[in-house]
Amino acid sequence: MSAPLRVLALIPAYNEARNLPAVVGRIRERCPGVAVLVVDDGSTDDTVPILEQLGVQWLRWPQRRGVGCAVRAGLRYGSRLGFDAVVRLDADGQHDAEDIERLLTPIRFGRADAVFGSRYAHDADAEPILLKRMLARLVSAVGRRQVTDATSGFWALGPRAVTLLATHHPRGYPEPELHLFLSHNRLSVEEVGVPVRERLSGQSSLTVLRLVAAAARVLLAMVIVPLRARVSP
Amino acid sequence: MTSRIQIVAIVGSVAFLLLVLELVRRRRLAEEYSALWIVAALVLLFASLRRDMIDRTASWLGIYYGPTVLLLGLLVVVAAALLWMSVILTKQQGQIEHLIEETAILGAELRAERTRDRLPAVTADRSGR
Repeated sequence: MSAPLRVLALIPAYNEARNLPAVVGRIRERCPGVAVLVVDDGSTDDTVPILEQLGVQWLRWPQRRGVGCAVRAGLRYGSRLGFDAVVRLDADGQHDAEDIERLLTPIRFGRADAVFGSRYAHDADAEPILLKRMLARLVSAVGRRQVTDATSGFWALGPRAVTLLATHHPRGYPEPELHLFLSHNRLSVEEVGVPVRERLSGQSSLTVLRLVAAAARVLLAMVIVPLRARVSP
Repeated sequence: MTSRIQIVAIVGSVAFLLLVLELVRRRRLAEEYSALWIVAALVLLFASLRRDMIDRTASWLGIYYGPTVLLLGLLVVVAAALLWMSVILTKQQGQIEHLIEETAILGAELRAERTRDRLPAVTADRSGR
């Protein structure tokens, strides 16, 4: 018998005013019991009025600080307010609220501290590009745990992971480092397959320069994270 | 015999030490960050007073030209200071980020409180009609 969980859907957002109503609406439609928190990472579009209209909880700061900081703040909020689980979704509609329950199931049954939605776990048609495949292999090798999608931003965390990551969630472009952190700190992790979707509208804010900086950070993390002292909640 | 360069070095070291102490006195430099500069000034002063130490160190390191040791020492101190500043910068970045996040969370709590306060007021107004 699974215990009821207080779940927070965490949506980091940067200039996603056009997509947020659909994303939040979908969560409310598919998961009515889930609270929604949007973390506005210094958007310059109409995100704030949209958030006020939507009536969701939101955090905001005036300058862009990166998705890692936005997620950490959301986790701190979730931890402070006593949520049992936090599900992270992108604000561009790539992650469907319909899959939230699949992410939560292993946490609900105490099988995992963290569950990642993988676009490549069970879908033979969805083949990652070479760089992503190499990254997944590297993260798997360093973390000594199989990771098929090291850049997935669709995940759910249980209470232990929420408490830990409210303080220690990586900054910058954090997903591969998050995998390494979880493995290094011996948190149990599962992957579940989720379908690949296109963003609803607009363009990704990732640029070549940001990607190069992210790659450098990931390489550094692969060396440093396993050498760090383990943390406990 | 005291050479001109030695006098300049001694005066320079003392002036540097006094500058650091004056900055601390005026609270323009925090005590915890002044330690490295005070030590650097004292080492510089000591090296200026004891030229034979420089020559002996140069000889021990296999450096032919004595004053190169001073430049090497200066380079080490500057590199250490820069590294230390980066550590301080990282610590302060963490503190600023923490404050930003705490402020954002407090903002959300304030909005929630205001919404809660507003709702009973509206209800009371309607019931009073």
